[in-house]
Amino acid sequence: MAVRPASMSPSLPDNTGEIPGQRAPLVLGGLDYAGLTDRVCSIPEQPTAPPAWWATLALAAAGLAGFLCLIGYLVSTGIGVWGNNQPVAWAFDITNFVFWIGIGHAGTLISAILFLFRQNWRTSINRFAEAMTIFAVMCAGIFPAIHVGRPWLAYWMAPYPNQMGMWPNFRSPLLWDVFAVSTYALVSLMFWYVGMIPDLATLRDRARTRMRRILYGLFALGWTGSAAHWRRFECAYLLLAGLATPLVLSVHSVVSFDFATSQLPGWHTTIFPPYFVAGAVFGGFAMVLTLVIPARTFFGLQEVITLRHIENMNKVLLATGCIVGYAYGVELFIAWYSGSGFERFAFANRMGGPMAWAYWIMVGCNVVAPQLLWSKFCRTNLWVTLFVAMCVNVGMWFERFVIIVSSLSRDFVPSSWGGFSPTWVDFGMLAGSFGLFFTLFMLFVRYLPIVAMAEIKHVMPAGHAGDAGRAG
Amino acid sequence: MTHQPHNTQPGQDRHTLPFPVSPAIPAVAGGFLVAAVFLLSRGSADGMRRFWLAYVQAFAFVLSLSLGALFFVLIQHLTRAGWSVVVRRPAEILAANFGVLIVAFLPIAGTVAGGSGLLYRWARPLHVTQEAHARGSPLLPAARAAEPTEPPRAGGSAAQADGHDHDAHGGLDELTLKKRPWLNGPFFLARWAAYLAIWAVCGWFLLARSTEQDASGDPRLTLRLQYPSGAMTLLFGLTVTFAAFDLLMSLDAHWFSTIFGVYYFAGSVVGFLAVLILGLMLLQRLGLLRASVTVEHYHDLGKLLFAFVFFWGYIAFSQYMLIWYGNLPEETAWFARRGASTAEPNAWSAVALVLLLGHFVLPFAGLLSRHAKRSRAMLGGWAAWLLAMHWLDLYWLVMPEAPAAAWPPALAEIGCSAGLIGLFIAGLLRLASGRSLLAARDPRLPESLAFHNP
Amino acid sequence: MSVEVSTSRPPAEPVLYGLLAEFDDPAALARAAAAVRQKGYTRWDAHSPFPVHGLDEAMGARRTRLPLIALIAGLCGLIGGLKLAWYTNASDLAFMPSFLRGYPFMISGKPVFSLPANIPVVFETTVLLAALGTVLGMLGLNRLPRLHHPLFASERFARATTDRFFIVIEARDPRFDRRAAAEFLRSLGAAAVEEVAEGPP
Repeated sequence: MAVRPASMSPSLPDNTGEIPGQRAPLVLGGLDYAGLTDRVCSIPEQPTAPPAWWATLALAAAGLAGFLCLIGYLVSTGIGVWGNNQPVAWAFDITNFVFWIGIGHAGTLISAILFLFRQNWRTSINRFAEAMTIFAVMCAGIFPAIHVGRPWLAYWMAPYPNQMGMWPNFRSPLLWDVFAVSTYALVSLMFWYVGMIPDLATLRDRARTRMRRILYGLFALGWTGSAAHWRRFECAYLLLAGLATPLVLSVHSVVSFDFATSQLPGWHTTIFPPYFVAGAVFGGFAMVLTLVIPARTFFGLQEVITLRHIENMNKVLLATGCIVGYAYGVELFIAWYSGSGFERFAFANRMGGPMAWAYWIMVGCNVVAPQLLWSKFCRTNLWVTLFVAMCVNVGMWFERFVIIVSSLSRDFVPSSWGGFSPTWVDFGMLAGSFGLFFTLFMLFVRYLPIVAMAEIKHVMPAGHAGDAGRAG
Repeated sequence: MTHQPHNTQPGQDRHTLPFPVSPAIPAVAGGFLVAAVFLLSRGSADGMRRFWLAYVQAFAFVLSLSLGALFFVLIQHLTRAGWSVVVRRPAEILAANFGVLIVAFLPIAGTVAGGSGLLYRWARPLHVTQEAHARGSPLLPAARAAEPTEPPRAGGSAAQADGHDHDAHGGLDELTLKKRPWLNGPFFLARWAAYLAIWAVCGWFLLARSTEQDASGDPRLTLRLQYPSGAMTLLFGLTVTFAAFDLLMSLDAHWFSTIFGVYYFAGSVVGFLAVLILGLMLLQRLGLLRASVTVEHYHDLGKLLFAFVFFWGYIAFSQYMLIWYGNLPEETAWFARRGASTAEPNAWSAVALVLLLGHFVLPFAGLLSRHAKRSRAMLGGWAAWLLAMHWLDLYWLVMPEAPAAAWPPALAEIGCSAGLIGLFIAGLLRLASGRSLLAARDPRLPESLAFHNP
Repeated sequence: MSVEVSTSRPPAEPVLYGLLAEFDDPAALARAAAAVRQKGYTRWDAHSPFPVHGLDEAMGARRTRLPLIALIAGLCGLIGGLKLAWYTNASDLAFMPSFLRGYPFMISGKPVFSLPANIPVVFETTVLLAALGTVLGMLGLNRLPRLHHPLFASERFARATTDRFFIVIEARDPRFDRRAAAEFLRSLGAAAVEEVAEGPP
């Protein structure tokens, strides 16, 4: 039985410090291969799920149901049910899109970039984060699809031969988005699934019912752990990591191009691509922390996802938060330095205009709150971490909202200015997208291996034949 | 290329310079070269303008190598890196070389303080005339949608190519005046004093504490290096950004690009990694560090070089594509002057194309394979090539501001670069002589010695 | 057809698939693999719950061709993406049927073929095809997916994905001799050696 209250866990040693020259263990509690497998597999192998899981799933599924109803309402009525109107033609829809696609980026960062940097601690959280990526991209994809107004014609965005004799415009950033997001979804899915094959084989080999054996067996593809297979598997994993790294850079860069290729003050600025990427990783790490802290306690995984993992993620959160703060600062400085009245006005308007409250929420949540993490006490305190992560979740949503709505509502000519006020459908769909995300997430934690067992075994000290003395 | 390190006893390895080297020779030779081209350029205002631009380009080049090194060392401490210990000391020496860089900055400080405006047009004292206002600025907000002005062609007359930020009477145009609170001599000098002081203190701290560990072997020194490196990285990011704005972007006081600091940073790391790879190869040829630095470390440095080549390409593309796409005259003029336009190519177009291919496409393809990164000849070749490309990149950023087509490089550019490189080498020799080139008692040294790539 | 056979009882006239030797830890597996290779066996394999470090060297494995496959697939994506953007937006071939003909259309003042504007899409198609090539190439070279494997009949082997390490010498190895091979595997410190039958025909 996996679900153990935290109090039943053995008290774990503090592994957040490190004596130079010695490496702190990645996994605590003296787990061996079998112990680790038992600990992780026992979650999907529970015959009945705990009531808390059912309660959370029910809540999330209710949100999902509401989301589907609202989508039906929107499609049958028209996007006038949102508060969008000229000049603010993009509002919650694109804010939600950029928010969710950004959430996904931390998953790829953890699975691909930290892998390339040989950050072995990633193995405890990468499966989790990759799953989050996929679900976040699914949430993200819905908004651009429904905001076109006639989503049943969304397939027109694909370049296919047709009797209208028309093709998509490849010089349009919105088409780049279609390619970037769909590539990202597919590659993330492949990366996640390929990495999971050996763990699915573990579940297959431990299965006690025919149903489980067939289902896990089908998805394990007949994996036997052959050395020849592992060799190609490892090579494929490395290649996918190498491909996913520039891909993740490109995806949020392309999203930023949607704005930055325009001439709108506040949108047209060259730092947008790296700034969006850093912001995405920042927001994504906050979401990983938000999910991982309750999950590790709930499923008794404190020995696998240790305090050191939390602290490391907090460090990444602080670093990316500082990059985001840097980008805010440079944007502000150059807006002044450009000498262009429109640029200067756009930023003065953000900071002191009718939407100043949103700007200052953004700065407070994204720049000020993470500064707590300079202190080791805060980095290793779960409540402070959760607080900062929640701030960042809110702040990153507001960042996109500020960029989109403040620039659109007040551009060059005051006679064409306008405001934006969201409708109940706007709020409902934002909440509903969380319902979709958490429904998928709850199903994932219940039925799939949420920790990459094979990868952890690979970096456990005993996993190295031939050079036992090597520091790992 | 065995899977076992050649030798795990650093004690058997030589790691101090085997011969006494006097830093005076390159320092004097470098100083002499710069002085000579200065005297030779004195004939005309155009010649002096070109000399100063060449000097700034050379300074930006040597500065970037130390800045790249500073970033590298900080990140190693910040991430508690183990693999890199054997290559860290040469990087620390590069990062601590701000003594000569401060000396090399003095002429720039002098010309800014002198107010001649030969280098930075905005540095002239204020005497804006009514005419400047009367002529109007193309960048008043109301005129933003105006037709782009004819981009000046390199090779055109001096007035044509050079007249983009001041009027015929020598006054500053209205747009430059708007930036006066930032772009003025005293504030510029104060900012640079702060940048140089911050970099020098960081570089000195990292080298001094690390060298201290050679004697004591105290592991607590590793922690003392780690703790402040976060704040130092933050300071580094801010200072490098504004230094790039001040030193390079403000050569054209009209132009602005928020990514410019990142662009300079990306090129700096490429240049530094190239120098580190070449420097290690040279040291090993001299018989040093032979047992400590193996093909595995070169492989990792090669991966980093590859990554930063890609990063540079990504940043350069982002900057270019967004300005090309937006097509606003106040931004495109800068690229048009540099020939980065298919519609209006000029003498710089070839250089821009060489950069696209030589700074990104070719090294990207060349460093892609594992074999290339593990072959000494190929990695060394690409490092040398990329160092040259980094120099060319800065040349392309700076020299199109010169009054006439400053391509190919002539006496002023070659003299300034060679002179400042000589000075830079003198500084390195001074720091390296008598000092161990291996962090021999770093607690993570065994990990670095035993390191091999999967 | 069932996904795997769980029965441990071999059929009446079993055809021998090979000998399965179980080892306790990765170091023992690597040592044994080196010895098996030394002995001259060619049709054999090791199985482990995770990639064992140093095993490839011990088995004398060559580097896989997978990077080449990924590179070729990526280049196809690169060229394909460029061709797609050029053909649909910049070409106008009169001999093509109308539904396949390119549609050059001047928009936002950009040339019909604009390389800077095409790079994002070309990049994405490159990465997509390279990733597809990697995954499909890995599965293809590994002959996966397969619904059945003779080793699945062994109950012992179920722990190959948890914490046990195995070497299998196949019966079709030219040097294979049932008794000698079993003896040899035991001499390598195998915790257990068992015969595995070919699955149902």
